[in-house]
Amino acid sequence: MMLAMLLIVPIAGGLLAWLAGRFSPLAVRIVSLLVLLLDLAIALPLLHGTSNIAMPGNWMAGFNAPWIPAFGMNFRLGMDGVSWLLAVLTILIGIFAIIVSWDEIDDGVGFFHANLLWSLAGAIGVFVALDMFLFFYFWELMLVPMYFIIAIWGHENRRRAAIKFFLFTQGSGLLILLSILALAFLHQQQTGVLTFNYFELIQTHTFGTFGFLVMLGLFIAFIVKLASFPVHAWLPETHTEAPTAGSVILASILLKTGAYGLLRFVIPLVPMAAHSLAPVALWLGVGSILYGAFLAYGQSDLKKLIAYTSISHMGFVLIGVFVFNNIAWQGVVLLLVAHGISTGALFIIVGSVQHRLHTRNLAQMGGMWTDLPRLSSFGTFFILASMGLPGLGNFVGEFLILRGAWSVAPLITVIAAIGLIPAALYSLIAIQRAFHGPVDEERDTHDFGTRETAMMLVLAAAIIYLGVYPQPVLNIAAPSLNNMQPQPATAMLKETRAG
Amino acid sequence: MNLQGAAPLVILTILAGGLPGVVAIKRCYGLISAVAGLGLVVALLSIPYALQAPVPALPAMFTLNALSLGFIGLILVSGLLILILAAGYWQAQTPLRREEYPLLFVAGILGAAVLAAAANFMMLFIGLETMTLAMIGMIAYPHFRPGAEEAGMKYLVLSGMSSSFVLFGIGLIELSSGSLNITQIIAATPADAASREMLIAGLAMIAIGTGFKLSVVPFHIWVPDVYAGAPAPTGAYVAVIAKLGVLAVLIRVINLPGVSLPAGVMTLITVIAILSMLAGNLLALMQDNLKRILGYSSIAHLGYLLVAMLAAGTIGQVAVVFYIVAYAITMIGAFGVIAVLSRSSDARDIDKISELRGLFWTRPALAAVMTLFLLSLAGIPPALGFIAKMYIMAAGVHTQLWGLLAVMVVSGVIGLFYYLNIILMMSMKPHTEEPLPGVLAISIPNRLAIAMVSLPILAFGVAPSPLIALLKLMFN
Repeated sequence: MMLAMLLIVPIAGGLLAWLAGRFSPLAVRIVSLLVLLLDLAIALPLLHGTSNIAMPGNWMAGFNAPWIPAFGMNFRLGMDGVSWLLAVLTILIGIFAIIVSWDEIDDGVGFFHANLLWSLAGAIGVFVALDMFLFFYFWELMLVPMYFIIAIWGHENRRRAAIKFFLFTQGSGLLILLSILALAFLHQQQTGVLTFNYFELIQTHTFGTFGFLVMLGLFIAFIVKLASFPVHAWLPETHTEAPTAGSVILASILLKTGAYGLLRFVIPLVPMAAHSLAPVALWLGVGSILYGAFLAYGQSDLKKLIAYTSISHMGFVLIGVFVFNNIAWQGVVLLLVAHGISTGALFIIVGSVQHRLHTRNLAQMGGMWTDLPRLSSFGTFFILASMGLPGLGNFVGEFLILRGAWSVAPLITVIAAIGLIPAALYSLIAIQRAFHGPVDEERDTHDFGTRETAMMLVLAAAIIYLGVYPQPVLNIAAPSLNNMQPQPATAMLKETRAG
Repeated sequence: MNLQGAAPLVILTILAGGLPGVVAIKRCYGLISAVAGLGLVVALLSIPYALQAPVPALPAMFTLNALSLGFIGLILVSGLLILILAAGYWQAQTPLRREEYPLLFVAGILGAAVLAAAANFMMLFIGLETMTLAMIGMIAYPHFRPGAEEAGMKYLVLSGMSSSFVLFGIGLIELSSGSLNITQIIAATPADAASREMLIAGLAMIAIGTGFKLSVVPFHIWVPDVYAGAPAPTGAYVAVIAKLGVLAVLIRVINLPGVSLPAGVMTLITVIAILSMLAGNLLALMQDNLKRILGYSSIAHLGYLLVAMLAAGTIGQVAVVFYIVAYAITMIGAFGVIAVLSRSSDARDIDKISELRGLFWTRPALAAVMTLFLLSLAGIPPALGFIAKMYIMAAGVHTQLWGLLAVMVVSGVIGLFYYLNIILMMSMKPHTEEPLPGVLAISIPNRLAIAMVSLPILAFGVAPSPLIALLKLMFN
């Protein structure tokens, strides 16, 4: 029941925030903040719980209620370590998104926050849904509010960016729907039962071309969301044009749903086909790392630069997922969380830069350290974190992924590691051009206030914690990684290898 | 003679005959609308009673079973919603006599209901013509609008032509089989080649007429002009009521025991479905008129429906009806928003996309509701259209219609463009602080109608089970 509340609270809260918009913007902001804090209070205690509903594997919480019995669709939720980490990340990032919108959003405040909360609710739903159709429902549900956030409150080219975002994700969403339906009917053919229950569908024997096509539909959709090369085209524009809160949510949370989908659904549901696609996926990962890094290097728009680095980092995630071992998967989970925090922080910083300088162009920056020392030092810190500086969270994630990949695909590992060099290049150049050098023009020298500094300190502490002592996080994720290798999947793999 | 089974038809007939009497007694638009609405409600409530009929009523003329009565129910519900919209749409300052509109309206509903239940070709034709003629009047009703007159004329000519196709087809069938009974013609036709060919020619003629009424490609040319020219409530009527009646006949024929479509017909329907999906969505891309977009969108939606019709089995049947329900409610809603914004005394409705600019800022609730309708048309949760689309895809996957599904996905993505464009336009800042014309004067019936349409779209989009259970009753 608590799991259902986790979803109901932000959905109802969104409605409440919209209504509060009739009274005052401040009321909206406070309501939204309280809603997310309440959600956090619901989510945190789940960590030490155990599911009261019997489900195979290690689950902290579960919920099940009939939804559309005609199709065997249930409102089935379950939370394990990975879900918990990502859900808590979602809520935390959501809180930061509300705080950064405090000054930035002045129009339609109520509707903005409603969309924000609904989009977060959709993302949390994605992380906890264990009925394939319910999962798809939430997958779609998080798009529409996000679309509004970009289309209404975005920057100059927001309409184009919003449409691009929607078409990419909606088109790939239809692929997911087809794959899910095909899988369910394959299951029905084999067992005579029509169901969308995750645990039942795992038992489906997905051999041959049909299984491969099912996998391909899911895979393409998820890597579109992950913004892997060559289906990344929506990401740079969308991230750049979205308002700060939108970019933060897109980069920190929505990208993660793609990685989560690969881990939770592609690998357990269609293990055979996923294994046969692994070489392609690994090369796509390498391609993303290098391509993203090189394009980031060439950007003059700071926000776009960060967007391209996301593509690069998500390349590591793709590699980590498709080397099929626990070390790499632990790295993936850690990198997802760390990237969520560091990129979120970077987008907040770019947002504040734009707020003060009215530009995102690196050429018009320079010398900010003298005017805005706090902003610049935090900026440097998070750029270094995102680059993978040892001692900070992202490094641990990327290292574990490379460590796990080494035993499986040495060549890929080597090339991926080479990708760290352009990463250092673009990071240092960004730092140099934005923060160092002479001041060219008069500008607003209003540095980070208490609100922003506090926000940054929390995020920085989290990144340092993840970098210095990641073990607790890995402990949370570890049992759930066994859920990603369920017995039916491993049995199916053994069967095919033997035959 | 036991008329229990035909109770809704009897009530509708009395209503259609009695309304002119009410006009004669007192010319009052509100009164006539209320009487018409009341009559539709009574007819709707009589359906459970009709379902319990011990003996079939008028078996030579009508097939009154769960399926056809279900469709009549659907027609009545849709009619009621549109009637409420129309009641608010025709304002007192309109330079015409408003009182005859409900008369035409009810006559058209009667025609659609007769069509939905027709057991022989004569009744089918009578129903079709009653409905069509009433619709022509309703399209051209605001005679001071040049666009409406043009649309009415266009519809008169084209529907007259399609009706004559149907009539000729009926003649050929009668000649070949000696029977006018829909269920018996195939069995009654002699096995010799000449009779068979005549039967096929006749069926083809009827198929052409049906294609016109359903506005599938290549019989869709009239749609955008008529939708754009007709006043908004009539637009909803043409998009929904007319299609419901024809679809009812089609589904009843497909569900007849022993009917299996030959491979050639299947291919033909497949081609029509593909062309309709693609053409509807592609042509809508270039439009700046909301009614035209809805017209093209309806072409695409009929294409989706044909996909479900090709999918055999219970899941396909229920998918068709479910989709029809979703389509009907959503279309009424979308036309309803236009009707609410427009003034019937103006030379045209508020139907340019650019006129919707800034609706989110001037009337957020209406804009949110319109967004819901557009999402439903595009098949995106949490709207009813999403579940409907899933249903059709499920039916398609079940029957392994992969090619059609691929086209459906592609055209669905194309369709997003123009739905999103409308939503974007509504989300943009208005040029001036002035609200849209008509915005301040949203009457109570209008609010009621919009709320009554949007609630089921949201509610059944989140929890569709009750609706599925209800529609399954039609196929027991």
